[in-house]
Amino acid sequence: MSESEPDTTAAGRSYVESSIIMATVRVVSPFVFTYGLFVMFHGADSAGGGFQGGVIVATVMLMLGIAFGIDPLREWVGESVLVGIVTGGVAAFLAMAVGTVALGGAFLDYPALGIHHASKYGIEAVELFIGVIVAGTITGLFVAIDAGKDENSGGDDDQ
Amino acid sequence: MTPTEIAVAVLIAGGVFFTFVAGVGLLRLPDVYTRTHSASKSDTLGAGLALAAVAVTFGADLPTVKAALLVLFMFVTNPTAAHAIARAAADQGIEPWTVDDDESGGGNE
Repeated sequence: MSESEPDTTAAGRSYVESSIIMATVRVVSPFVFTYGLFVMFHGADSAGGGFQGGVIVATVMLMLGIAFGIDPLREWVGESVLVGIVTGGVAAFLAMAVGTVALGGAFLDYPALGIHHASKYGIEAVELFIGVIVAGTITGLFVAIDAGKDENSGGDDDQ
Repeated sequence: MTPTEIAVAVLIAGGVFFTFVAGVGLLRLPDVYTRTHSASKSDTLGAGLALAAVAVTFGADLPTVKAALLVLFMFVTNPTAAHAIARAAADQGIEPWTVDDDESGGGNE
């Protein structure tokens, strides 16, 4: 098999774009992103939550990577930006959780915030932060796994 | 049975049939291209018919809209996924199955 198609097929060459996949990803991505946010905010009163919604939002990044190439995706997003997003999510979650303690309540005690419908909006904010953390982590793992493939050997085409 | 129940039963039966065909094709067909072909076509139609049965069951209500959206996205994404798999297989240099492979491989089994 590989005699007729030498190693030029997959050796050191970037992904060949398919117009069908790119068009589909362009059309579907906004809906998937919206659906991820919907699942995140839905977690306050029914099935769903930050973890599931974060994975769905991360799927958008995975689709973009598969359609347009993972290396361009990594350069477009930037690894430090990804780390910053995850760190920011953790920091926001901790600020929310410890902030209620600072205001005289318990850990994650939303009514201590003193805002209207504190529990509802508090849970939704925390779900959003969790979703940001999960989406950033999954995207980072995807990008990092792909970045590791070139370092082992020149020919990753052994299969 | 009411006409709605008959419609739901017919749609479910069609969905089960086409999903079954997809499963048989996935197990019995010889290589990645034919299996992709079987899985994408029959499975899309099977899932579409099952979701249509869901939509008919709920009538004019919000779940019907959700089921219709699911059908729409399934019809868009499922063939695209099959296209991506077939394209990746061709990119890796996998050659399509031919009758010669069957004759040479038939002796081993």
